Amino acid sequence: MRGSAFGRAYSAVADAWLRRLVEERDGLAVLAVGGYGRQELCPGSDLDVLLLHDERLDVDAIAERLWYPLWDAGLQLDHSVRTVREAVAVAAEDLKGALGLLDARVVLGDEALGESLIARVRADWRELATRRLPGLDAMTAARHAEAGEVAFLLEPDIKEGHGGLRDVTTLAAITAATEVVEFEESVGRARDTLLDVRVALQRTTERRSNILGLELQDDLGRELGEADADALMTRVAGAARTIMWQTDDAWRRVRSWITGPPRRTAVGRDLELGHGVVLRDGEIALVDRDLAEDPAALPRVAAAAAHAEAPIERLTQRDLTLSAPTLVEPWPGEARDAFIALLGAGDQTVTVLEALDQHDLITRLIPEWAPVRSRAQRNPFHRFTVDRHLMETAARAEALTRSVDRPDLLLVSAFLHDIGKGYPGDHTAAGVHLVQVIATRMGFAQPDVELLAQLVGQHLLLPKIATSRDLTDPATSSAVAAQVGSVNTLETLYALTEADSLATGPSAWSPWRAQLVDDLVEGVRAALGARTPKPTPPPIAPPPGPPPGQPQVEVRGDTVRVVGPDQPGLFATSVGLLSLHGQDVRTARAASSADVAVAEFDVEPAFGKVINPTEMETELSAALAGQLDLDERLDERARAYGRLRAASSAQLEPHVLVYADESPVAAIVEVRAADGVGVLYRIARTLLEVGLDIRLAKIATLGHEVVDTFYVVDAQNGRPPRADAVARLEPRVIAALL
Amino acid sequence: MKIVIAIIKPFKLEPVTDALRALDVSGITLSEVRGHGRQRGHTEVYRGAEYEVAYLPKVRLEVVVDDADVERVANIIMDAARTGKIGDGKLWIQPIETLMRIRTGEAGRDAL
Repeated sequence: MRGSAFGRAYSAVADAWLRRLVEERDGLAVLAVGGYGRQELCPGSDLDVLLLHDERLDVDAIAERLWYPLWDAGLQLDHSVRTVREAVAVAAEDLKGALGLLDARVVLGDEALGESLIARVRADWRELATRRLPGLDAMTAARHAEAGEVAFLLEPDIKEGHGGLRDVTTLAAITAATEVVEFEESVGRARDTLLDVRVALQRTTERRSNILGLELQDDLGRELGEADADALMTRVAGAARTIMWQTDDAWRRVRSWITGPPRRTAVGRDLELGHGVVLRDGEIALVDRDLAEDPAALPRVAAAAAHAEAPIERLTQRDLTLSAPTLVEPWPGEARDAFIALLGAGDQTVTVLEALDQHDLITRLIPEWAPVRSRAQRNPFHRFTVDRHLMETAARAEALTRSVDRPDLLLVSAFLHDIGKGYPGDHTAAGVHLVQVIATRMGFAQPDVELLAQLVGQHLLLPKIATSRDLTDPATSSAVAAQVGSVNTLETLYALTEADSLATGPSAWSPWRAQLVDDLVEGVRAALGARTPKPTPPPIAPPPGPPPGQPQVEVRGDTVRVVGPDQPGLFATSVGLLSLHGQDVRTARAASSADVAVAEFDVEPAFGKVINPTEMETELSAALAGQLDLDERLDERARAYGRLRAASSAQLEPHVLVYADESPVAAIVEVRAADGVGVLYRIARTLLEVGLDIRLAKIATLGHEVVDTFYVVDAQNGRPPRADAVARLEPRVIAALL
Repeated sequence: MKIVIAIIKPFKLEPVTDALRALDVSGITLSEVRGHGRQRGHTEVYRGAEYEVAYLPKVRLEVVVDDADVERVANIIMDAARTGKIGDGKLWIQPIETLMRIRTGEAGRDAL
């Protein structure tokens, strides 16, 4: 007999036994408490029994008749004798006592007496919820810290661990206290899985232990009909994650219920985040339920949740689960951008992906994800299941995005590097093939697909060589250099290695290992003849014939083209106006000759509003003539959306690199920063303020990150800027972005 | 019985353990350590900033062997770990007073 069936049967046997020991009478009831009350007894469980009386009887004699046979039978007994008043007082003072009584059940005796206690305890629990739940929250957090995560530990404690059976009881107690949390069916199924394992575990070991020891996992797997220990642990991890996620979600809801709605967003007022996504009562929602069918809706909602550090509203999550389509080739550009933004949110990436995975939504984006879900890696080197490891690697990679030229490729390779582990054969080889298929479907250009495949294929190269080859031998560095090919790829691979190792476990990125990999990378850099990577020159859009008297604006699809007389501020002002009108500038190209300037912007209307060329021409002229205070209006807008800046990368300081000697005609300025309202405008304005004129610009938004390259000259004489102007630039740009 | 302790270059770990396995040496303990000998580390320029690498990554290897095998084991480690260049490491041998297997309580050679 397994799990919950065993629990019910054992409880029934215990009930019958108790009934034989004491006769029914008024004013006396025997209650089963805690796990016994829930009929979830396992072979090693305590029998938690309360003898309840109404002070009229001589209970001592009855108690002796009850307890001694149980002790004699060798059962672990947790017993108490109380009046209703005493029991209510215990529940009021002691959290554990209250939790046990919430699950109480009358086994025999005065049913009315027993039920009156249960009803009273439940009513008090509900009434005093806001006072008692914080204590339970703290107790739960302490227990989690002590016992660790069931899904990821090599030898988990399936009762006390985070995601264990105790959390299910806690969830039930929360739902008994407040309606903000519902007890989901999935939690019931997960509990049954863990109960199966717990009964088998205690039966096999003949002990009360709840720790699923490594040496027991093979036998238990067989006993429970699994193919092997890996399959068992994958099932345990899946169940534990469901419980863990629901518990964390429940506590989050409880905390916000207790504190009340946040002041910054008034209840019932939506803050528009663009593309039909809103922040509503502290949660991310879709304004229109039909939008859930839009292929970009799922990644957009997820990215918004990650960067606003807000959960996805229940109804929206249900709509997405019902209607979000599985993305097919090629992904819309907005879906890819949003997905990369989701991957680039640091720890929030993990939180949101775990939430998506609870409803199997990651497979809508990447169907190949299915075999790695909750896949166990049973060795002391790995801290996490394969899928969680991939999420964690992306989260760790986010902190390293500034050290590589293509943060988007770093994040995607981090998220997919071990996806081959769900497939037969060598995981790296399988991964290379899978990433080609997935990246092509995502709509990456062919060279990017090849680079992603290379990164996945070589993700173990650096640590392997670093620990197994003579690093002082120049042949080692040159062999790796030949395999890697370029400094940009090397830096990305280095970042991927670090992120992968940090997400693997503490021993994978010890200072010892890190130093070996550092030494190797240093050698390979030298072998590749690398100085600092050069920014590539931008494509020049040739300025057309004679300059128009006033700036002219042309809108073609999502591209806005501005042509005007070459004057300081044309680029910056255009950017500012686009931003003001809710256009996200995804990429831009700019060029100017002696008297004419041209700029092209690929924009994404964040709020569905299309640019009116005539209106923009008028505003451009006004702003250039100083009749429109762009700064003021943009600051206003930035304040409104300020808190929604990229969650984690906003904490990374912007990078400004100035290359004064790369080009004979201009200085090259490269800026890396988190995307946000008016970022490009602020950079462009700062260049203008320090007396620089933009000759060429190449603007790219890679997920949540902007990578902007400007070729600048002295605005006075059109020559490369003087050294002092260059020196002033970096701190000014950083100051403008902070 | 003796304990053979060797500090070797990390990349020599695999050849050394392979050689020891071929000799049927049953138990090996490894640690990732850092240190320096006469070479005193070296100075590197790392991401533009010069810093001194005073301690280099090494592997510390410990093997308990019967007196009769000590020389063979020591020699095989020396041979497998040698590059002939500076920083190859050190090896030393210490006597063991008592050896016990924790699980069974066996002592002396039986515990090997």
